[in-house]
Amino acid sequence: MRRYLHLYRVFAGQFMKSLIQSKVDFLIGLIGFFFSQMFGIIFLSLVFKQIPNLNGWTFEQLVFIYGFAQIPRGIDHFLTDNIWMLAMRYVIRGEFDRFLLRPINPFFQLICDRFQADALGELIVGFVLVGVSVGNHTVTITVGNVVLFVISVLTGALIYTAIKLLFASLAFWIKDSIAILQVAYETSDFAKYPISIYAKPIRFLLTYMIPFAFVAFFPASYFLTGKNLLTTIGAEVLIAFIAWLLAYAVFRKGLTVYESAGN
Amino acid sequence: MIHVENMSKEFISPKKYPGFKGAIKGLFSNEKVRKLAVDRISFDIDKGEMVGYIGSNGAGKSTSIKMMTGILTPTDGFCTVNGIVPYEHRQENAANIGVVFGQRTQLWWDLPLSETFSILKEVYNVSDVDYKERMDFLQEVLGFDSFIHSTVRTLSLGQRMRADLAAALLHNPKVLYLDEPTIGLDLVVKDRIRQAIKEINAQYETTVILTTHDLSDIEELCEKIMIIDEGKIIYNGTIAQIKDLYGKRRMLTLDVKEIQTLSDLNFHNIFQLGEDKLQVKKEQSSITFNFDKDSLNISHIISKVMEKTAVRDIKMQDTQITEIVKEIYKHGI
Repeated sequence: MRRYLHLYRVFAGQFMKSLIQSKVDFLIGLIGFFFSQMFGIIFLSLVFKQIPNLNGWTFEQLVFIYGFAQIPRGIDHFLTDNIWMLAMRYVIRGEFDRFLLRPINPFFQLICDRFQADALGELIVGFVLVGVSVGNHTVTITVGNVVLFVISVLTGALIYTAIKLLFASLAFWIKDSIAILQVAYETSDFAKYPISIYAKPIRFLLTYMIPFAFVAFFPASYFLTGKNLLTTIGAEVLIAFIAWLLAYAVFRKGLTVYESAGN
Repeated sequence: MIHVENMSKEFISPKKYPGFKGAIKGLFSNEKVRKLAVDRISFDIDKGEMVGYIGSNGAGKSTSIKMMTGILTPTDGFCTVNGIVPYEHRQENAANIGVVFGQRTQLWWDLPLSETFSILKEVYNVSDVDYKERMDFLQEVLGFDSFIHSTVRTLSLGQRMRADLAAALLHNPKVLYLDEPTIGLDLVVKDRIRQAIKEINAQYETTVILTTHDLSDIEELCEKIMIIDEGKIIYNGTIAQIKDLYGKRRMLTLDVKEIQTLSDLNFHNIFQLGEDKLQVKKEQSSITFNFDKDSLNISHIISKVMEKTAVRDIKMQDTQITEIVKEIYKHGI
């Protein structure tokens, strides 16, 4: 474990170096992400010019849910973005070989190969919107809330990672799983809004199939209402745990059927 | 050091049909194509041996190497490397082996070479003392000082290959797998790589398995060779032995004064030998006999030719390993 922490620092250090060397690239990516998120909020405010509330949720509450959803997404995006490469390149081109030839965990190597600085755009938007919500008393800061907030965003990020890993690992069988991963990942866009506004099939999908509702809406609703701790954040922690075990087992199984590629 | 027993690998892929109609048909059919890439191979390799592993394209070389390195899991049989089953204990095995795939780099594309080495030092947990000693040695035999601060993607093929070899040896592996390490390299770099492999083997008693299409690599480095064809090992022994077994062919070239005087001679009739035991090729001013040394005496050939015309020069050649291997690929053993 200590060795892995040390190695993680080494890889992160390399990433920082290359980041400094390509400032322009980084800034453009960051600004792009920031704006695409901001447009989402502007759209939301335009909608609320027309209607006073949405299914019982006020504009301020929606801003909090939207902002809160960005944080676990951003953490996962920053740390494990390289999982996408598993789905689209590493298996079909046989490039996964090198992860199997080094004496460290292949999943660890996979995520250490690249960090995604663009994700800072999501994190900035997320924290700004949560800050705004604290400022206008939509949510309140207590010690308990802060602890739950930390637990919730970390386990939420883990749910993201698990869902990505699960669908990316299908590449071990079908060679290229980018299309299916893309669809699965994009369902997380639904989770930026209250789940109660959707039709039943989508609610079912987000709750039971691809559990993004537990990443954003359910925990956010706890912070807004202070009700149902167990079925929101409690469920989130449990689902993160199960999703991770399942995804990692599929990944491990995938390693045994990995076929490399001919030279 | 390496023990392989009845190891097989079968690839299963969905059957494909030609054309657009075929693609549609493929969607609905459930037919599978099975391809036995490696077919129950067995062999042993001792510590410190350098073994050449050869076979034509698609014969199963890379697939068997990938099983020994732990990348692929055999469908049947097993292998152990230094007592470890590589595909079951990948990380443990990885600490013992070094791998160079000539066609694909293991280095970090965007990092300077020096950074790559320092990351690998951490990855393989090499102590400072060992690292220094190893780097000095590798620098001496591979000479990468001039480009150690360049980014990997800017290196030339020859530089990259030397860097890849150094990276594979940093942790002093017990077994070194080289999959076509000299492919596409010029003669100078090729020679440098070969010398380095030799010295590493001598210094550290590293076991080396080398696949290549350049048989001069093997003649220079290895005492033993294994030949694989259609997934089966068809030869496993010393190079000297294979030359003995298949090297009954001799090549005799005679430079003659007047080649046209030989045109009406039919050597097959004269010596009562078929095309399999004797081949004759005439050129501008020379004639070449490729013959089985047990069925035909050199002096007979020379005297027959000298009856007709004066001989200016005689050249005699042993069979080249290349020729033998070509024969084996074509006809099997």
